[in-house]
Amino acid sequence: MVEDGSDGVLVRRVLDGDTEAYSGLVARHRERGLRFAAAMLGDVAEAEEAVQDAFVRAYRSLRICREPDRFGAWFLRILVNRCRTRGAMRRRSERVFVRDEAALEHAAARPAGDHEWREEIDRALARLDALQREAFLLKHVEGLEYEEMARLTGARIPALKMRVKRACDHLRVLLQEVDDARDP
Amino acid sequence: MHGTPDDHLISRIAAELRRPVPLRPDFDARVMAAVRRDIPSLPVRAWTWLREPRVVAMSPLGGLAMAAGLAGLLVVGAVSREPIADSRKPIADSREPIADSRKPIADGREPIAAASVTFLLSAPQARSVALAGDFNDWDAARVLMRREASGLWTVDVPLTPGRYRYVFVVDGRRFVADPAAPRAAGDDFGTPTSVVTVGGGALRAAGGSL
Amino acid sequence: MNVRVLMLAAALGGLVAPAVARAQTERLAGRLDDRTRAAVTALVDSARAAGLPADPLVNKALEGASKGADGGRIAAAVRALAGDLARTRAALGRSATEAELVAGAAALRAGATPAFLERLRGGYPREPLVVPLAVMADLVARGVPADTAARSVLALVRAGMREAELVAFRQSVERDVALGAPAGAAAAVRVNAAERDFGISATGQQPPSAPPRPRKP
Repeated sequence: MVEDGSDGVLVRRVLDGDTEAYSGLVARHRERGLRFAAAMLGDVAEAEEAVQDAFVRAYRSLRICREPDRFGAWFLRILVNRCRTRGAMRRRSERVFVRDEAALEHAAARPAGDHEWREEIDRALARLDALQREAFLLKHVEGLEYEEMARLTGARIPALKMRVKRACDHLRVLLQEVDDARDP
Repeated sequence: MHGTPDDHLISRIAAELRRPVPLRPDFDARVMAAVRRDIPSLPVRAWTWLREPRVVAMSPLGGLAMAAGLAGLLVVGAVSREPIADSRKPIADSREPIADSRKPIADGREPIAAASVTFLLSAPQARSVALAGDFNDWDAARVLMRREASGLWTVDVPLTPGRYRYVFVVDGRRFVADPAAPRAAGDDFGTPTSVVTVGGGALRAAGGSL
Repeated sequence: MNVRVLMLAAALGGLVAPAVARAQTERLAGRLDDRTRAAVTALVDSARAAGLPADPLVNKALEGASKGADGGRIAAAVRALAGDLARTRAALGRSATEAELVAGAAALRAGATPAFLERLRGGYPREPLVVPLAVMADLVARGVPADTAARSVLALVRAGMREAELVAFRQSVERDVALGAPAGAAAAVRVNAAERDFGISATGQQPPSAPPRPRKP
C-alpha cells in the first residue's frame, strides 16, 4: 500500500502517470467517506457503492482538482453529490417502508443497549429532511466550519445554520426519550 | 453556545456517528480495479478484437448433442422441467460452483450443454398450436405442439443458456403471448411477445483463450 | 467446406471467413423480400465487423418476418438491436458471451443504464450475468421502475443471491403485483426482506463493535 506523502504529493504522482499511487489516497480517505455516506444514506452497502463511485469520479477528474493538498475536501464534495443523487433515487421507495416502521413501533419496548442506540440514531436521521441531515453530519460529525460547508454544498451560510439548527432540534425531540432510557 | 444538556445529547449522537463503519475487505481492491479500467478508450481496430479470446457461439440447434448430466443448468422461465437426460437429478443449487458447466470455451467441436424447456399453453378450443421463437428461426411451421386431453398444448425444446423471445401461433394465424411468462422488451412488431431465460452458463476462466 | 471446420478456423484464425458469414444470413433466404434482405445483411455484416454476434440480429429479422412486419420496420429493429448490443458490449467488456449480450441489450432496452451493467461485471467478473440481467428486464416488464429494478438486482447479487434466488425474487414480485401491490413497492419491500434474510453478506463480515444495521425506513 502506498501511503507515503501528503495528499498533494500523491495527487501529483497520479497525474504524472503513477495510477497505483491513487491507492494511498483511497486508503487515507475511505473511512471518513464511508462514515459520512453510511449515516447519510442509512445503508452500509449503498454507502460503499457511493464511496467507491466517488473515488472513481474523483480519479477521473483529478486534473481539475485545484488544490491537490486538499484532496480530502474535494473528494468529500464529490461524495456529498453522489449521496444526493442516490438519495433522490431512493425517495420513490421510501414510502414502502411505512409498513416496516409500523411493525417496529409496535414491537415491545426493549431496554436500550449500545447497538440499539446506533439504530435509534439511524432511524432518527432517516426522518430528517435530506439537506438537514447532510448539514448536521458535515457540521457535527465531520466538524467542518460553515465556510467550508458553503464551498462544499453551494448553499449560503445562513441557510446552512438554519438546517443544522433544525436538525438538532428534531434529533433532540426524537432521541431524548431513548437517551433517557439508556443506562448512564 | 451554552453548555446545556441538549448539546450534550448532540455531542453524544455525533460521537456515536463518528465511530468507524466496517468496510468490506476488498473495498480498496475494487476501487483500484475500477480506476485501472478507466483508461481512455482506444479506437476499435479490427485486429484488436480478433486477437482477444472470444466465445464462439454455435446456433443451439446446429449439431447439438444432449450432454449427459445436465445438473447445473437452471431454466428460468414460465415453465421449466428437470433436464431430460436424467429426470431424477435435482437442478443444482446455483449458489454452488457449477462443476459441469466449467467446459472449455467452445471451439466448434464441443457440444454446449442444454436444458430441456417445456412450453405450455392452455387452449382447449384451438385446432393447432405452434411455437415460434429465437430458437427455431421463428418458423411457426416447424414446432407443432402436442395437445393433451385437458386442452393443454405442450412441447419440449432443448435450449442452451441464454434469453429467447417466443410466441405461440394458434390455428396458424393468431399470435398469442405466454400468459405465464415475462414480456419481451424492445420492438415486438406490434405483437406481444414472451421471453424465457436459461441460466447456468459457464464460469469464465481467468484469461481464457481459445 | 464443412461449416464446423470453417467456424473453428474462424475462431482460431480470427478471420471472418466469407462462407461462415454467409451461412449466418442464409437463414433469411425466402423469409424477406430482396430489398429488406439486402438491408439486413448489410447491417449484420457491419455489426460483425464491429465484433458483434450475428445470430441475435438475424433472429430479430426473422421475428419481424414471421409477424408480417414491414421491411423498413424490420431493418430499423435490427439496427436498434445492433446498437443495444454494441452498448452492452462496451459496458460488459469484450469477453461477454452472446447470451450475455442479448440479455444485456434487453436490460438496456428496459431502462438499465450502462453503469448498471458495468457494476454487475465489475463486481462479478467471473460469473455469467445472463440471469441478473434478464431478471432486471423482467421486473421492468412487470411494472417495476427501471432504477428500482436495477438497484434491486444489484443489491441482491451483492447480498449473495445467484440464479435460482434471483428468479424466485422475480416470481415473488410478480405474485405481489398479481395480488394488487404496486410493482415498485413490491420490489423494494422484497429486497429489504431478502437483505435481512441474507444477513450481513453485503458487508462481508460481522463487525466487532456495531452489529449490521438494517436498511432504514
